[in-house]
Amino acid sequence: MLRPARDRARLLCGLGAGALLLWSLAGSGVLGGPVLNPAGVGQLTRFAAGALHPDLSGELLGVLARATLVTVAYAVLGAGLAVALGALGAVAAARTTWGRRRAGWVAVRGALAVPRGLHEAVWGLLLVGVLGLDPWVGVLAIGVPYGAVTARVFADLLDEAPHGGYEALRAAGAGAGVAVLYGLVPEASGGMLSYAFYRLECAVRSAVVLGLIGAGGLGQELALSFTSLRWEQVWSAVYALAALCLLADVAGRAVRRRVAAPPPRATGRRDPVLTGAVLATAALALWSAWFLALRPATLVDGRTLDQLGTLLRAAWPPAGDGPLLSEIAVRAVETVQMSVLAIAVAVAGSLVLAGVAARAPRGTGAVRWAAGAAVRAGLLLLRAVPAPVWALVFVFVLLPGPLPGALALGVHTLGVLGRLSAEAVEELDPRPVAALTALGAAPLGRWLYGVLPGVARPATAFALYRWEVALRDTVLVGLLGAGGLGVLLSARLAAFDWPAVATVLAATVLLTLAVDLVGARVRAVLR
Amino acid sequence: MRYGPSTALDGVDLTVRAGERVAVVGASGAGKSTLLAVANGTVAASSGSVRVLGADPAALRGRELRRLRARVGTVHQHLQLVGPLRVVHNVNAGRLGSWSGPRAAWSLLHPQGVAEVAEALDRVGLAGRLHERTDRLSGGQQQRVALARLLVQRPELVLADEPASALDPALADTALTLLAGLAGERGGALLACLHDPALALRHCDRVVGLVGGRVVLDAPAGTLTVAGLESFFGVHR
Repeated sequence: MLRPARDRARLLCGLGAGALLLWSLAGSGVLGGPVLNPAGVGQLTRFAAGALHPDLSGELLGVLARATLVTVAYAVLGAGLAVALGALGAVAAARTTWGRRRAGWVAVRGALAVPRGLHEAVWGLLLVGVLGLDPWVGVLAIGVPYGAVTARVFADLLDEAPHGGYEALRAAGAGAGVAVLYGLVPEASGGMLSYAFYRLECAVRSAVVLGLIGAGGLGQELALSFTSLRWEQVWSAVYALAALCLLADVAGRAVRRRVAAPPPRATGRRDPVLTGAVLATAALALWSAWFLALRPATLVDGRTLDQLGTLLRAAWPPAGDGPLLSEIAVRAVETVQMSVLAIAVAVAGSLVLAGVAARAPRGTGAVRWAAGAAVRAGLLLLRAVPAPVWALVFVFVLLPGPLPGALALGVHTLGVLGRLSAEAVEELDPRPVAALTALGAAPLGRWLYGVLPGVARPATAFALYRWEVALRDTVLVGLLGAGGLGVLLSARLAAFDWPAVATVLAATVLLTLAVDLVGARVRAVLR
Repeated sequence: MRYGPSTALDGVDLTVRAGERVAVVGASGAGKSTLLAVANGTVAASSGSVRVLGADPAALRGRELRRLRARVGTVHQHLQLVGPLRVVHNVNAGRLGSWSGPRAAWSLLHPQGVAEVAEALDRVGLAGRLHERTDRLSGGQQQRVALARLLVQRPELVLADEPASALDPALADTALTLLAGLAGERGGALLACLHDPALALRHCDRVVGLVGGRVVLDAPAGTLTVAGLESFFGVHR
């Protein structure tokens, strides 16, 4: 049978993915030698039993409540800074600004890829070197990388907005900046608002992760309880995280739905709900600055600038010796293999669970409804708990190495991917499945022929996007000892070997960029 | 038959015997599609009783219900094919009522019964389109894929909702001949909602007219004329 070129490209992508997966499996050690640690089963059982008996003492709940406020404060300020930086950067990164001067546009885009390529936790560790233990570390660690992503997305929104009004203003003699403000920003504002709230949702998860490296908040409480083996307290923190995550998901989604489909009555006027949400977030940001005792002067005082100068001088020139480079190569391979395994676990899991996790249409039985609610709650728990904490859980029963880290990333990503795939299932046209029901197909047949073909494409696109995220998260898990470039980075940071740190960071950014490009290429083939 | 506050079918008392070819006519919203959904057991009647091929679909569960549904073939108004699947799989979906789960899964990787699928596609004039993606075909071609799905399903009762709406007149005649032949092959009946009075009279031996969910006409095709049916729709072409 003759196949068109596009099919051949897809086949190649599929074969490539299969080969990559086998290579990663081989690298993880699953295919040769033991990986299980049976001695840890008892500890795992005690840990799991804690789920039913979380510590609910008044003292701990008070601590957790305060920790939650810290996490929320970091998230709100970080996301706020990101939106501010993004709005400024968007003008510089928009194709509209550069017109035919492509070189400038490419340069700005390339510059934006650098902050984006490093995980928030890596930013946090670097910033601690400059600022010491200051609340600005948490805010900047979220705000800088998020700002770069936001700038790129805002720029795309500006470029995709209808240009009629902008062109007319330019023709009437308005300057480029004013024309963007009057002609493009109003067109793109809905999308920007939506994205800003999505970033806030993500910032909550990032703020938790920063807690793991010592920035305070829920993440720190979770890590403390874990290292002191107080499983009941661990579970109290996990449930607090899940509640916070759920609140962020629900509120963020409500705002985004409202932007996408405003109620008919509100057209022409400001939507009071959206205005309220924006004002409330702004008020929350002011409160957060007060709560964290953030002083703007810290950023520009002499000590900070001195420290920054010292650090940059120490890191330049980056180390380029042979042993370091070969270790970087080995660790980079490990990082890629871990991220591939993680995505494979997440994709396989989300394909199995998406159908159940999707909200069933009305009139389905109580069992189906209960199964759906249970799976959705499970996915929430998976994504609410940061990957490094899952890695600690896996280390109970697996021998240390890249495998527990990869599995931890896999289940965390499954929480995110499962939710996205379930939403894709909910948005499917129900009629083809109804037709299969009418001709007597069994549930498995309906799922294979009616649901899977419809969600395979969006699920693959999400998976490729999450692969980039997983790669950066691998560095995070590595910082806490699981393998990959993160291990190397944390060792060099601990030794204050700044030239080597600079090289490792450059390698990380390049690797992220490479995965980004491969992902974009494959997405284009699948489209 | 009620959907919330509105009544889709009301006091319908209709018996279709084996071997009959019945055309259902009526304006949009008259209840034709609901009548077919009741007949294939996907919608339960809110009052009254329904018997399909001698069984009451509302009384059956699980495997038994699927077995009954596999004996009833439906061509839908909105086709209801799975767009991203290849044609061969959409046609093979007609056999999901009789295939086991593992066989259905294996067929997605290595299509089963390809010869039969190819023959069905040949009969509807789509020879050689086996491996194309279904949503890349035109509306009329997709309608014929839906017919091919029915050909491999080999049902006893054939239900068709505007099976020829996207086809040119010659193809429409072919399609209805195929459907009537399919029902006849297994001694079953054809129940088709049709917009075109001429098509209804050429291919069916009984015409049932619906207005506002009630049967207002039930007569042998031989006693009716195209002009008479057109006035029934209230349209003059």
